[in-house]
Amino acid sequence: MKRKERDSSSKDVWIFGDYRNYFQNRVTLQLIAKGRDLARNLGGKVTVLVLGEQVHQYAMEYVAHGADAVMVVDHPNLKDFQVETYTRIVASLVGNYRPDIFLAGATPFGREFFPRVAKRLKTGLSTDCIALEIDPENQLLLQTTPSFGGELLAEVITQNHRPQMATVHPGVFEEQPHDHQAIGRIIYPEVDIARDDRVQLVRSRPEQSKKGHLEDAPVVVVGGRGVSSKEQFQMLSELAELLGGEVGATRPAVLAGLAGEERLLGQTGKKVKPKLLITVGTSGALQYTTGIQGAETIIAINRDAQAPIFKMADLGLVGDARSILTLVLEKLRKRI
Amino acid sequence: MPSIRIDRHRMTIIREGVESIINPIDCVALEAALELREREGGEITVISMGPPQSEEALREALAFGADQSILLTDPAFAGADTLATSHVLARAITRLMPFPDLVLCGKQTIDSDTGHVGPQIAEELDLPQVCGVHEIHLDGDSLMVKRLYDGFLDTLRVSLPALLTVSHEISVPHHIPLGNLEKAFSEGEVIRWGLEHLDLTEEEVGLCGSATRVWKLHKAAAKRGGDIASGSPQRLAEHLIRKLEALSIIDEEEGKG
Repeated sequence: MKRKERDSSSKDVWIFGDYRNYFQNRVTLQLIAKGRDLARNLGGKVTVLVLGEQVHQYAMEYVAHGADAVMVVDHPNLKDFQVETYTRIVASLVGNYRPDIFLAGATPFGREFFPRVAKRLKTGLSTDCIALEIDPENQLLLQTTPSFGGELLAEVITQNHRPQMATVHPGVFEEQPHDHQAIGRIIYPEVDIARDDRVQLVRSRPEQSKKGHLEDAPVVVVGGRGVSSKEQFQMLSELAELLGGEVGATRPAVLAGLAGEERLLGQTGKKVKPKLLITVGTSGALQYTTGIQGAETIIAINRDAQAPIFKMADLGLVGDARSILTLVLEKLRKRI
Repeated sequence: MPSIRIDRHRMTIIREGVESIINPIDCVALEAALELREREGGEITVISMGPPQSEEALREALAFGADQSILLTDPAFAGADTLATSHVLARAITRLMPFPDLVLCGKQTIDSDTGHVGPQIAEELDLPQVCGVHEIHLDGDSLMVKRLYDGFLDTLRVSLPALLTVSHEISVPHHIPLGNLEKAFSEGEVIRWGLEHLDLTEEEVGLCGSATRVWKLHKAAAKRGGDIASGSPQRLAEHLIRKLEALSIIDEEEGKG
């Protein structure tokens, strides 16, 4: 196979600083901690790239959480996270500084921005990685990502192109504690900050959700493909309500119209860490289970005793969910 | 040959109910395109890269209401990552006459779920992009689109030509009348473009044109694996209630202490 020589790159790891919703969305901090490990392994440094207007406070935060350096591009043109403008600036900085690895959180912005950056840099990108390691033999980044309908984990490498790019879901890695004595460099690179006006944000308003936050719920009840009707899904909602929790759904249940996309759990949806998760009629595809791994206790109900979900359940009930839940709801209504 | 296909297809439909062979989110994108055509006019071309047997899905797209279906197929396309896939798709789009005003994609594919291809086509064609839209309105030379993003409802103005990926809330795909399906399979034409037609070389497509390689595949290790109970619904319901008590999710029943 013909291949061009690998680009000469530094040993540095870059993290895209996604600071919106800072107090809830900790993914950038989690990536700094992971990036630091990777950079130490390679003999390089971890740098966070921050674009926006008046973003110095975040630069300080990132240093306190372990960044060796923060590269800041601060300008009113960059106030909105805008894919086209950001792509041009970030690709040009990558071209100048040549990091070996470039990571971003799989936030809605990261998911549409990073593919475009990778394409402009003509390099590879793996999505929703659940592990990142340096191969001791060849120093390549091993990017582990769920694959083939969720049955398997694929270890992906980007052999001949740089940087090696990956997105990671919030909650996969752990952040380093805040250290107010940490010292890091702040870099102000020279870069053209012209705005691309082809997409303009006309207005943006919070979409008030009627229910509480799925991510913070102590109990989550999830319906999957095996939940065949709205009535059955309603039973799950009632169970969640009686237990003081929230209801979630897998992709097949969302596609079947049983729940809205904001209820989606898994690789492309939300990740939850409830005290208890009750999962009903879900086979246990990895695309879903990556979203529930953080649950303290998992109870699975499924008709099929061979369903992979039972392998990760603390308690598995093999049987018809409708009959079981009808009885459970009867008992709970009397007691609570 | 085509008549055999109709029968096979009809059997599939009878056996599996209304299930479609097109990726469900692509069906949603196609339905959104049909609604736009209804309001604003224009023509719809469906393009897909895949093995020769993907032709069935493209015939289904014709039955669905597309004006034209193009299958990008070539042995050299196999093994492509999203970088190489988006290259082939983008090249095909440049071959359309006239160049489209709007490129619509599903937000994710069901098999690989990366969501890269839309933004990467947009990048290669230098189009502005908005991902995950659930409403599209034409407003002069631009589109007004809406999407849910990080808990915000965003309204955006996008100049044309543009690329949008749609979320499944944008439309509910209609049921394909069987007559349309029969017609698409007997008379419909799916255009096929390969490497040569697209003026591409083997180095820039498929596995050769990909930047990522799958190095290893392994089964996901199961982390837990607790008690498995089976039996009557009564017994299982009891089991569940006891577990809820043990976890202090509900209080233990009075008198049982």
